[in-house]
Amino acid sequence: MKKISISSVILFLLLISNSIQGQNDKCFICHESIGDNASVLFKKDIHFQKNISCSGCHGGNNQSDDMEVAMNPRNGYLGVPKGDQISERCIKCHSNSETMRKYGSKLPTNQIEQIKNSVHWQRSTKGTEHIVQCTTCHNAHGIVSVKNPASPVYSLNIPKTCSTCHNSAVFMHSYNPSLPVDQYQKYITSVHGKLILKGDSKAADCSDCHGAHDIRKATDVKSKVYPTNIPATCSVCHSNTAYMKSYKIPTDQFDKFSISVHGKALLEKNDLNAPACNSCHGNHGATPPGVESISKVCGTCHVLNAELFSGSPHKQAFDKKKYPECETCHKYHDIVTASNELLGVSKDAVCSKCHSEKENRKGYYIGMKMRSLIDSLDAEIKTANALVNDAEQKGMEISDAKFKLRDANQAKLETKTMVHSVDFEKFKEIVSGKGLKTTNSIKDEASAAIDNFYFRRYGLLVSVLIMSILAIALYFYIKSIERGKKKIK
Amino acid sequence: MENNNNSHKGRRNFLKYVLNGGLAGFAISIFYPLVSYLKPPKQEDVEVSSISAGKLDEIEKDTGKIIQFGTKPVLLIRTQNDKLLAYDAICTHLDCTVQYKSDMGIIWCACHNGKYDLSGRNIAGPPPKPLQPYNVVVKGDEIIISKQS
Amino acid sequence: MKKFFLNLYNWIDERVKLEDLVNFMGKKYVPVHSRSIWYYFGGVTLFFFIIQVVTGILLLFYYKASADLAFESIQFIMSKVEFGWLVRSIHTWSANLFILAAFIHMFSVYFERSYRKPREITWITGMLMFFLGLGFGFSGYLLPWNELAFFATKVGSDILGAIPLIGEELKIFARGGEDVTGATLSRMFGFHVALFPAIFTVLLTIHLLLVQRQGMSQPMEMVEKEMSEEKKMPFFPNFLLRDLLFWLIVLNVLAILAVFFPSELGHKADPFAPAPEGIKPEWYFLFMFQALKYLPAHVLFIEGEILGILLFGAAGILWLLVPFWDKKTARGQKNKFITYLGIFSVMFIIVFTILGWLT
Repeated sequence: MKKISISSVILFLLLISNSIQGQNDKCFICHESIGDNASVLFKKDIHFQKNISCSGCHGGNNQSDDMEVAMNPRNGYLGVPKGDQISERCIKCHSNSETMRKYGSKLPTNQIEQIKNSVHWQRSTKGTEHIVQCTTCHNAHGIVSVKNPASPVYSLNIPKTCSTCHNSAVFMHSYNPSLPVDQYQKYITSVHGKLILKGDSKAADCSDCHGAHDIRKATDVKSKVYPTNIPATCSVCHSNTAYMKSYKIPTDQFDKFSISVHGKALLEKNDLNAPACNSCHGNHGATPPGVESISKVCGTCHVLNAELFSGSPHKQAFDKKKYPECETCHKYHDIVTASNELLGVSKDAVCSKCHSEKENRKGYYIGMKMRSLIDSLDAEIKTANALVNDAEQKGMEISDAKFKLRDANQAKLETKTMVHSVDFEKFKEIVSGKGLKTTNSIKDEASAAIDNFYFRRYGLLVSVLIMSILAIALYFYIKSIERGKKKIK
Repeated sequence: MENNNNSHKGRRNFLKYVLNGGLAGFAISIFYPLVSYLKPPKQEDVEVSSISAGKLDEIEKDTGKIIQFGTKPVLLIRTQNDKLLAYDAICTHLDCTVQYKSDMGIIWCACHNGKYDLSGRNIAGPPPKPLQPYNVVVKGDEIIISKQS
Repeated sequence: MKKFFLNLYNWIDERVKLEDLVNFMGKKYVPVHSRSIWYYFGGVTLFFFIIQVVTGILLLFYYKASADLAFESIQFIMSKVEFGWLVRSIHTWSANLFILAAFIHMFSVYFERSYRKPREITWITGMLMFFLGLGFGFSGYLLPWNELAFFATKVGSDILGAIPLIGEELKIFARGGEDVTGATLSRMFGFHVALFPAIFTVLLTIHLLLVQRQGMSQPMEMVEKEMSEEKKMPFFPNFLLRDLLFWLIVLNVLAILAVFFPSELGHKADPFAPAPEGIKPEWYFLFMFQALKYLPAHVLFIEGEILGILLFGAAGILWLLVPFWDKKTARGQKNKFITYLGIFSVMFIIVFTILGWLT
């Protein structure tokens, strides 16, 4: 009975101690007097400023200066929390919105929920605890607001903080041996990294792309850096006109990308092979490709086009004029499927940018001829297609010709590759040797099928006529027999 | 009377001609389609779900060959270690026809440099899906390719 | 030319005594009256059957009865074989018209009560041929092995399975296994081109011999009077030529239908694909199919579908045996009930077929 009343008194004292100035915190007073590191750091800690005692995390009685009492496990003293104990101490308050409100905090309280989905919340190698605890990133005693430059998770400090583990090949080896450990090195070469090093906290740090507590693997479809999510992640900053104003760069990349052939493949068709922002700009070392490297960057996927282009006379001319290779004709971000209109010397065509009747005439004429060839192939494919459809609608079986349409379309695709060589002979070989030859045979087959359809109609007409005549004749014959019979009688 | 009889006879003869002519025409309009039908068609047999892809010694090791399978092309590969593989030869990207590249040991599409490994999986370039495999068996020294059901 | 045929005739006559046959045919008369037109429908049905045999044999030249090849071989017939499209279209059209003609022939015989003594056997063989004709339709429908046929056969054989006691066995027998598979196709093919034609031929021979032997039935009210010269026509050549004339017209119609509405092939059957919407049996099964649908799930203690099947079965047997229980007609009296039953049946079939068509 007595024991209970004592403990309830202690509890009461504990409670009111919260409202007493930190100076009355016996733990702190004593520890400060011996000048230990923890208490020195704790002075700057946000929790200290909010009058939270050491015992808030470590337990024990902060009102007693008797060590036997203050640091007695029977009074809830924990000593130095180990492993998951650490985070449990933090969660106790930080996931309780009421407690947080009491301290005048507007911080979110879902950190634990978020981190549970994170790659960091897997069991550590020991198996008894999770890989990271709150203190791993936020520090133990000198915890300050994220907005405070002293915080390890202050924007400018984040890359360093993350790299303490992620730069260590030895440490990372125990969790994911195939994960690179050069992210930081790459990052400081990127535009983002350079700005951060210059002290621009607006620039993207690790958490801006990977998330803070809910960091998922890049292969997790919910990860902010999963291929289909990357454009949206980048656009958080890059499409924000106000945010990007001081950098004087456009903010229409995302809009342009979403209508591009790449954006449609990635975002609409969910084709993970299609490039996202990082495929051209790099991920950790994100930087726009330079003028001379564009064709190399595009060429990682569009190998043949890049190869043909490099072997073409255009290569030297572009280099001399410092034209970016692919971009000059295909633009960037809003790269759409190359149509025939791109080729040639008409108004929208790109050849006329450099070639005219007066200047660089050879290219002017080749462009014109190529255009007329590809247009004629297109027209032929259309006619062939129409004939095949017509024959099919007439109920004729025409699967062979339909099969050949594939070849014709393949020829069309190949011309679009071959055009990068600007070699007229090779181009013509594909158009007429492969394309037109096929369309001609398709047209022949389809016309034959259509002819056959009319043959059936006329054949029917003739045979119906014959049968009708026969029927009429038979009718009269029967009549004449019957009349004959009557006469005989 | 005789005149009348004559004209009557004439009418009857005319009827006879029409009747005989009609019969002949009728016979033609029945037998022409019938005989045409029985005439062996150009393509001798039905397109089937399995085809012979020729003799085993017609395809060398480490080479590939396009076989016409009905109206579809099929890529038959005899690998370095003498395994026979067959895949749908239509690239899953844009309908081009793929080929076996012995120097790289992969299936390759010339149109946009799409690459598939020898299990048909798309490993590089634009192809979004793997190639459909076909069954290959060797009967005697004849290679038979069939659809996987 | 004429002489050659005459010699040929004499040559054969010498050996098999054709004279008797000609005499018999010459003495055979067909009654002439206001309802003579119905006499032609038996011949038309026969004509469609002949067409079925001829085009069926032609199709056999290229058709391959296996789940792997059936669809492709029909595609081959339709596209690669000259006039293959025509042969197949005629086969399907003629099949439908065969059933239609058989329906008309049957009902005309029924309403004229021509089944009465002494023509009971003719009626029975005719009815059996009619049922067999439906069997031809059902088994032939699966042979192209397309989506529609596949699921229609599935549904159709399911109904078979609902017959009490023997249903399950019957279904497995018809399907050649638990499910509709390649085995069902082989089985249906066997029924369609071998078993059914064999039975049909026997029945048809009896049917035709009896018609020749007994002559055409006269309407009841004419029996009393002796056939006057005006009221009859010789079977040969008058009636036969008219028959031929009728056939020619029918053939014309058939050709037009086959060219303008050729049979379609659809998509190859895929046992794992979901059933397409609106699976319906062929039109001649539609009235039964539809009637079964309208039955409540349970009637008293019997399942509605089972009851329906039993009713249809009973009706079929009753119809088949009409010459034996229609005692009044046998006595030469007018039996109004027969007329009412016939009208009810016709109305029932027409109404439910239309309902089935519309839904």
